[in-house]
Amino acid sequence: MPGSTDRLKPALAFRGVTAGYKARTVLREVDFEIAEGEFVSLIGPNGSGKSTMLKTATGLLKPLEGRVEVFGREVSTLKPRERASLIGVVPQKLESPMAFTVGEIVMIGRSVRGRWGGPDAADYDSAERAMIYTNVLDLKDRLFNQLSAGEQQRAALAMALAQEPRIIMLDESIAHLDINHSQEVLRILMNINREQKITVLLVSHDLNLAAQIADRLMLVDKGRLVSNGSPGEVMQEELLRRVYDCDLRVRRDPFSGNPVVSGVLDAALRRPSAQKRLHVISGGGSGIELFRRLLIEGFDVTAGVLNRLDSDSEAARALDIPCVLEQPFSPIGGEALSQARRMVEAADGVVAGLVPFGPGNLVNLDLAIAAQQAGKPVWLAAGIGSRDYTPGKAAAAKAQQLIDGGAAEWSSIHELMAQVEETWPQQQTQQ
Amino acid sequence: MPVKGSPKNRKRALILALSVPALFAVSAMLGPSGVGLPDTATVSGRAILDLRLGRFFMGMLVGAALSTSGTVFQAILRNPLAEPYVLGVSGGAGLGAAMSILIGGAFLGAVGLPLTAFAFALLTLLAVYAIANQGGVPSVYSLILSGVIVSAICSSVIMFLVSTADIEGMHTVVWWMLGNLQPSSWSEQIVSLFIIAAASGALWLFAPALNVLTLGREMAHYQGLDAGFVTISSLLLSTLLAATAVSMGGMIGFVGLIVPHVMRAIFGPDHRWLIPASAIGGGAFLVLCDALARTLMAPLEIPVGVVTALAGGPFFLIVLRKKMKYAWID
Repeated sequence: MPGSTDRLKPALAFRGVTAGYKARTVLREVDFEIAEGEFVSLIGPNGSGKSTMLKTATGLLKPLEGRVEVFGREVSTLKPRERASLIGVVPQKLESPMAFTVGEIVMIGRSVRGRWGGPDAADYDSAERAMIYTNVLDLKDRLFNQLSAGEQQRAALAMALAQEPRIIMLDESIAHLDINHSQEVLRILMNINREQKITVLLVSHDLNLAAQIADRLMLVDKGRLVSNGSPGEVMQEELLRRVYDCDLRVRRDPFSGNPVVSGVLDAALRRPSAQKRLHVISGGGSGIELFRRLLIEGFDVTAGVLNRLDSDSEAARALDIPCVLEQPFSPIGGEALSQARRMVEAADGVVAGLVPFGPGNLVNLDLAIAAQQAGKPVWLAAGIGSRDYTPGKAAAAKAQQLIDGGAAEWSSIHELMAQVEETWPQQQTQQ
Repeated sequence: MPVKGSPKNRKRALILALSVPALFAVSAMLGPSGVGLPDTATVSGRAILDLRLGRFFMGMLVGAALSTSGTVFQAILRNPLAEPYVLGVSGGAGLGAAMSILIGGAFLGAVGLPLTAFAFALLTLLAVYAIANQGGVPSVYSLILSGVIVSAICSSVIMFLVSTADIEGMHTVVWWMLGNLQPSSWSEQIVSLFIIAAASGALWLFAPALNVLTLGREMAHYQGLDAGFVTISSLLLSTLLAATAVSMGGMIGFVGLIVPHVMRAIFGPDHRWLIPASAIGGGAFLVLCDALARTLMAPLEIPVGVVTALAGGPFFLIVLRKKMKYAWID
């Protein structure tokens, strides 16, 4: 509707909006603006008011207080057709009980614009463009209900695009798709956003997906907008922990630099403390399962020495395990080694994982020997000989020395846990 | 809208339209007084032909009204089981009509019967909606459940009225309730024709909106439809259709359920095709059933409602198994 709306005004603005249903106020004093061409994602826990915000933004729900403006005009004053030409909505799941084909569904996006006389050539062109854009043209004559979830979602997007709106709003439309389908829909959205300057408002409960794609995140909690800014600004550990009421961690994705959230499941699973501390010698990913299992069984775990880029060091950090780190691709040297010695001295036992040994990390086995000499139990992953890349098979020799000194060999984590329980039977009484 | 289906649908629509004159001929030749065109040279022959053609006219009107009303209820409630009978609308209309017959609504003239029927049907629909509504939009299941309950209440009230009525009134009401297409007075037929044509035409104008509404009310809002207005007006119009049909032909079941399904299987879900197809198909189906009702046990006449139920039930099951999956998914 050129002329009737002001392009200089924000595409969508909430001004002191309080909204909700008969008995329940859901949104409270929400204020924000979205400029035309922005890609904004609305995030927040289940029941925080995201969907209500979407319904209010589209005029489906009238605000109890405040104003909702679309390009400077109050949304409730827009005529239904005018509203549909400005805002297109892709629902969580589009459902038709009747056997419409994809082509017919997409044409519905046009049919309401046109008069009864039926669609004209321009309508068909627009619908076809939308189908090409969303890659559903091949599915045109297929029945919508018989498509896969990903195809249905693309067809629903095509229907919304056929409206030729200035704003597209998506209500959790992507999160339940498989990763290949969700990535495809996201790519389509980014294209629409960049090439056609269509404003996108994506309601999502997938924080990582939202942070990956949006220019701006708006975090809603208990009906209030608690944070509004770039992904880096909004994805703050403390804030997210409070809003989602759970332990979680925010890291930077090493490739994209986007903030990435992950939950800390193991903390919740942890058994009461076994009062025992185990030091784990690992590397190359061999420690991840060990860390997890030992933590679940209630042990205090330390780890090292590990290289800084090793996947085990990432895991140790994510699981809050104290860990000695060495620079990448460097042999383990003095400072790190003495730190690790102190750790082993504080531990009640040492577990060596399925890690390959080379000259760089051979000293880790010396740590185990030191522990054994101090009278502490040592558990070795069996078959060190096959993972020994040291000149003169030094690691195998050290392993033999450990075994002679009474170290137990284990070939599966299950076996290891049985051995540990045998050594420290008090574990049983604590369970 | 159907880019591909249109030429096919045109051919099918032509066949459907051609069935009407064929049925007209059949209808003129069948009756309890014997098979064949009555001798128009005699007075009784002319009277018989008049009667038969009157029944053809009644059948087309009542069938079209019931079937169109069923199509629209199914679209708006997004449910294949929705139908004026199931929703209690016909029951309410029946109660209104029975009261009008027994107590007398004749003072309003030809409009009296359909008007009373419509008023009661509307009250029933409101009651059903109110019972089903537990905050927000009532679910289809609670709508149908409360429809069945309200319908049962209506028929017990009718039973009560019948049992307390005098013998003549009782006969009229019972005969009418069984469903029959005995032509009512000309003035009543003209009024009904006008109501049915106007309501069906108006619903046809809503066809694109009904297509959108099958995606749900919320989606319809996003597609720029005044969903509340369309829903309420089409519910009112289809209630009016059902009430008029009931006041004309009594309780004739199954037409509003079967015909829309069959037409949807043939023409697809686009209501621009579906509504006229249902109207013609419903009329044709009822005329056919009535022709059978008059001849099968001649000179005895079976109430047409019995025929529609007996013919419709098994037919419905067959179609349901075979083709319905292309018309309704689930």
